[in-house]
Amino acid sequence: MRRGRGAAEAAVAGPGPRVPGRPSPPPPPPRPGEMEPVPGRRWQKVLYERQPFPDNYVDQRFLEELRKNVHARRYRYRAVVFQSGAVVQQLCSVCVFVVTWWYMDAGTLSPQELFAAALVSSLLGYILFDAVDGGAGRRESGRTRWADLKSTLVFTAFTYGFSPVLKTLTESISTDTIYAMSALMLLGHLIFFDYGANAAIVSSTLSLNMAIFASVCLASRLPRSLHAFVVVTFAMQIFALWPMLQKKLKAQTPRCYVGVTVLFALAALAGLATVSSVGAVLFASLLLAISCLCPYCLIRLQLLKDNIHGPWDEAEIKEDLSRFLM
Amino acid sequence: MGRRREAPRERRRPAVMAPCGSPGRSGPGMAAGGPAGGAHSVCMVSDFFYPNMGGVESHVYQLSQCLIERGHKVLVVTHAYGRRKGVRYLTNGLKVYYLPLKVMYNQSTATTLFHSLPLLRYIFVRERVTVVHAHSSFSAMAHDALFHAKTMGLRTVFTDHSLFGFADVSSVLTNKLLTVSLCDTNHIICVSYTSKENTVLRAALDPRIVSVIPNAVDPTDFTPDPTRRDDSTITIVVVSRLVYRKGIDLLSGIIPELCQKYPELHFLVGGEGPKRIVLEEVRERYQLHDRVRLLGALEHQDVRNVLVQGHIFLNTSLTEAFCMAIVEAASCGLQVVSTRVGGIPEVLPENLIILCEPSVKSLCDGLEKAIAQLRSGTLPSPETVHNKVKTFYTWRNVAERTEKVYDRVADEVVLPMDKRLNRLMSHCGPVTGCIFALFAVLNFLFLAFLRWMTPDSVIDVAIDATGPKGAWTKQYFGRKKGGVKEELPSS
Repeated sequence: MRRGRGAAEAAVAGPGPRVPGRPSPPPPPPRPGEMEPVPGRRWQKVLYERQPFPDNYVDQRFLEELRKNVHARRYRYRAVVFQSGAVVQQLCSVCVFVVTWWYMDAGTLSPQELFAAALVSSLLGYILFDAVDGGAGRRESGRTRWADLKSTLVFTAFTYGFSPVLKTLTESISTDTIYAMSALMLLGHLIFFDYGANAAIVSSTLSLNMAIFASVCLASRLPRSLHAFVVVTFAMQIFALWPMLQKKLKAQTPRCYVGVTVLFALAALAGLATVSSVGAVLFASLLLAISCLCPYCLIRLQLLKDNIHGPWDEAEIKEDLSRFLM
Repeated sequence: MGRRREAPRERRRPAVMAPCGSPGRSGPGMAAGGPAGGAHSVCMVSDFFYPNMGGVESHVYQLSQCLIERGHKVLVVTHAYGRRKGVRYLTNGLKVYYLPLKVMYNQSTATTLFHSLPLLRYIFVRERVTVVHAHSSFSAMAHDALFHAKTMGLRTVFTDHSLFGFADVSSVLTNKLLTVSLCDTNHIICVSYTSKENTVLRAALDPRIVSVIPNAVDPTDFTPDPTRRDDSTITIVVVSRLVYRKGIDLLSGIIPELCQKYPELHFLVGGEGPKRIVLEEVRERYQLHDRVRLLGALEHQDVRNVLVQGHIFLNTSLTEAFCMAIVEAASCGLQVVSTRVGGIPEVLPENLIILCEPSVKSLCDGLEKAIAQLRSGTLPSPETVHNKVKTFYTWRNVAERTEKVYDRVADEVVLPMDKRLNRLMSHCGPVTGCIFALFAVLNFLFLAFLRWMTPDSVIDVAIDATGPKGAWTKQYFGRKKGGVKEELPSS
């Protein structure tokens, strides 16, 4: 949104027709009677009439059609902080996933425990998903519970069946490469995730695929194929199902959403603290920066916004013209 | 760089006759005009010249011809087009240098700010050039020539032919380049007041060194002929390149909307481009083959023959600095309906044009208004419209006003090197300014080296062949010098 700056912007720094907002070039020596408007005749912005003004005449109306910041939006701090919750949540999801994997790798968390916890939270989430909007979303989509159950079963069965393959899939690849790749993929997941912005870079499919790829990579370093199965299903839950629930919470019960975000962030921080206290401190400061500092910067920089529009802009076709070809 | 030349510009062919040079009309004009402040030796530089087609090309050609008529010496410098390279003479001894420079993109040469200096310096010295007049902000050669001319201490004038936005990366970069190029240029010419505002903002200029001199059309090329049109139907004519920026998508919505409403309505579309397929689809979808005719690319001399077959001219452009097409149409006596964008509202008076917003609905309303006027017979006759329009824009007037600009810059001083560096650094921002100041110094050193290699005094002075009294018209000279080809621009 803040593109389109440059020379032109400096030019409109000052109001009025005297344009340059910087040391202006020395004006050419005016000739006698050249710059003065002719009394009794008003200058018109037309080309078809010969007017008694020199060609380089600058009228009072020069640049009067200039408009600034037509599409600029004024943000409120609280609203921006609220919206930054999506980013915080996604960062925490990645953090929770990595910490969980860490514990499984170290052997302190058994796959059965994780599977049980994930199953319970999934069921809770499933009930909550329908409860928050009173089943309105379900009626709209027309999806039956049987369909839900079927896809769950199919997915679980396939993951379970293929988990020995997942386990040995990357055996020939060095562990360092796996870590680097997972880090990269999780970063990609964060970059392409749909935080609600309408931008070309957003692609929820790509984002989810990258996260699942990262989870498969990491799962293949775990001791047994059951571990791999549990980690991949957990990744599915935290990267695919959890954001859907969040979105619904955010739309239906904003207060509740804030609470959930704070709790989730604290949980992620606590989990990280047990692994690395330095990491926890850094992560905490990152979360604070994203939820408090960045909104502040956005609002401050918004004041400096200086976008110019005028009759020279290319007109936009606002209608949907494809209807004529249907 | 630019979006201007996204498709080959097929619409215009060079005018075979010069408006000022053709024998039939030059008689009275010759006596009328004469350089007031002494003759100038003007060098027009642009990447765009015949055999390429387009608005800039014809502007350069017509302006040169009229300046020659007024007694100035004019030459044109452009890059080689295919096998057309070297020196050519056009009508009235207008000398054109086709320089062997590499074309990079859309007929624009590459810019290094240095490689063209030896050639251009030779030309400027040989021809005793006093004013360098560059055309079009898309032309790299024009910017190069301005840069070198300032190093050599020549007066510089620049004409901007197009509008540019501020909101995308390519505009930001070209606008910066324009700032650098124009910050020490003596005078700038724009084709409309909107274009002036745009250029002043883009290049951060003092508006007082920017003049507005509109384009012109040759009214004798665009005369009405009511016998050619079929008054049992209503024909709407569109002549434009079929590209997005000309609003062809809007046209594809207007055609079915109006054709359903008015059974006697016909559309005549001249021009070629990537959006032709959209119009063909619409024609197919609504079975309008007998009522929508797509003529394809038009030669310049055919444009008038197409225009006179219509009653109403429709222009759907989304952006336009100065729309020549609507002036041509009005000159042929058509009622013009156009979008209200760019400089279009300045071009024709309200009683000759119906301005609409760039939307299908608004344009349909405008066209319906025109149709209603046509049916009720309240439209002025084509002859009246033509007689009115032909007084608006003439190349002679353009040349006269351009000459005033030359007179004015001739009195100005060219910035000496130290002041030029200061201007660059203070005006173009700390980073760009310093970089280009360095380039200016290098350019100066390069020039000093060239002057040491071949001093100015060694370079031959070219024979002045321009104008009716020029060396070219003298019989003995033409026979002696067989090596130089003479060509009409149309060949």
